[in-house]
Amino acid sequence: MSSSTDNGVVGTPTLPPQGVSTRVLGGIAEDATLSAPGVFLIVLAFILPIGQMLLLSIENAGGGLTSEHFTRFLGDSYYLGIVWRTLRLSLLITVIAAAIGFPLAYVMAHVGPRLRLWLIVLVILPLMTSVVVRTFGWMVLLGRGGLVPFTLWKLGFVNRNFTLMQTESAIVIGMVQVLLPFMTLSVLGVVMKIDRRLEEAARTMGASFLATLRTVVLPLAMPGIVAGSLLVFTLSVSSFITPSLLGGVRLPVVAGSIYEAATKTLEWNFAAAQSVILLIGVFLVLLPYLKLTGRRHG
Amino acid sequence: MVRAVPSTVRITAFLFVVLTLVFVLAPLVVVAGVSVSESQFIAFPPTGFSLRWYSAILTSGAYLGAAWTSLKLAVLVTICATIIGAGAAITLHRRRLPGAALLAGLFLSPLILPTIIFAIGLLMLWSATFGPVSFTALWIGHTVVALPYVVRTTLAVLAESDPFLEEAAATMGARRWQRLVFVVLPQCLPGLAAGAFFAFNISFDEAVVALFLRTPDLVTLPIQIYNQLEFSPDPSVAAVSTLMIGVTILLIVVIDRLLGIQRFTGA
Repeated sequence: MSSSTDNGVVGTPTLPPQGVSTRVLGGIAEDATLSAPGVFLIVLAFILPIGQMLLLSIENAGGGLTSEHFTRFLGDSYYLGIVWRTLRLSLLITVIAAAIGFPLAYVMAHVGPRLRLWLIVLVILPLMTSVVVRTFGWMVLLGRGGLVPFTLWKLGFVNRNFTLMQTESAIVIGMVQVLLPFMTLSVLGVVMKIDRRLEEAARTMGASFLATLRTVVLPLAMPGIVAGSLLVFTLSVSSFITPSLLGGVRLPVVAGSIYEAATKTLEWNFAAAQSVILLIGVFLVLLPYLKLTGRRHG
Repeated sequence: MVRAVPSTVRITAFLFVVLTLVFVLAPLVVVAGVSVSESQFIAFPPTGFSLRWYSAILTSGAYLGAAWTSLKLAVLVTICATIIGAGAAITLHRRRLPGAALLAGLFLSPLILPTIIFAIGLLMLWSATFGPVSFTALWIGHTVVALPYVVRTTLAVLAESDPFLEEAAATMGARRWQRLVFVVLPQCLPGLAAGAFFAFNISFDEAVVALFLRTPDLVTLPIQIYNQLEFSPDPSVAAVSTLMIGVTILLIVVIDRLLGIQRFTGA
């Protein structure tokens, strides 16, 4: 009885229950269609290749399973030396990038908006320039007769004109420049959100500028510094274009060794095994990073 | 009254920022300087002024071929990454799909995982399935690398959009596709456009995937530069590099106009 009266009401805004569920399902179907091309691309062209690589790393010449490629890498002092160099240099690059990136980001956060925009553009410009182009610039600057060795010679720090090319210093200088923007932007994002009144309070209470920086700003900026450091470290461990051009063949790094095995000596299984070792290493470092950023966004 | 920052700190900070900027920009300035040198050899500061290396690259088959490959590739990658990224970002923003967090991780994973690991995997899979690598392989590889940038810029714009507009359109009787095309997509546009320019930049400058997937006939501009640097660098490399820096500056200006560079950096 009453239901017929309800149906008689003109322009009722309520939808029947089945209508709601088909609407939800329709929404899911629409979203599934929209994201399908992306899922296809990532699964087929990203996840699958990495899976293929994992498979190759444990495959022997006959197609059976083996751990020979891993034992070859981990049992050879030559390759362990490469791992050690990669870790050592990456750590150094990360520390230097943090030491430059934190004060830079702090200054950027404290200048006026117009100047900040200019500074951001100047930091992003090298970031968006091809890594090959930037490395070329360092080859000119660090090579024999280049501006850097020449200046050091003229200032009397060294007693002859020399080249910095093919040294670990060259790799570190080049890589810090390549990766510094990642650090700066990571720290800037966090420093910009620090309540300016906390600093003012510390200063009013008598803390010196540097004491405020050390006891108030630095601890609050830590999440940004940690996130930036993990990013710089993983990028540094896995890069090879800058190290191979600046360091040369005498100073191989892990990623460079992978590149050699994959494209020059064509030992794909061995290259795959080295990639897996790099992948595991990067994952171990990235896990805390993902947790950190996940907490910030979620 | 808050005590002012001591002037020694101000001066130190100023000097520090100037020195850091010199350090960060030096390689680019040096490359541009070398490109206008008259000398046969790569030298900085440049000796004399001449545009001969620019005319040299404009008549070099190797550079023109690589430039054409890079341009074609970047345009196709931009189109694909933008279309695919738009759909991905819209669904990530709506959070209606089950497993949305997993999906977000999936779409952004190429940003986090080192490119070399993906590049070598793609080379191995492609060779095992289709044989020698081709332009298509490079196209797919670059699209994967560029996709997260489109997703990120579009998500950033959608985060500030009005969630009630789509609901209002639904109440007014707009169908699903009408809401998508006339309400959601227009709101995405600044992010999509900025993402498209990012995708172009990434693809145009990318060197790791391109290095693994190179063949004698499949050489992009960064790889052509890399080859020259490995074997016989001369100032023509600097001229090409300077042109690439010019393209980057142009793209940064466009992205800033569209989205605001500051917003993208999360600062």
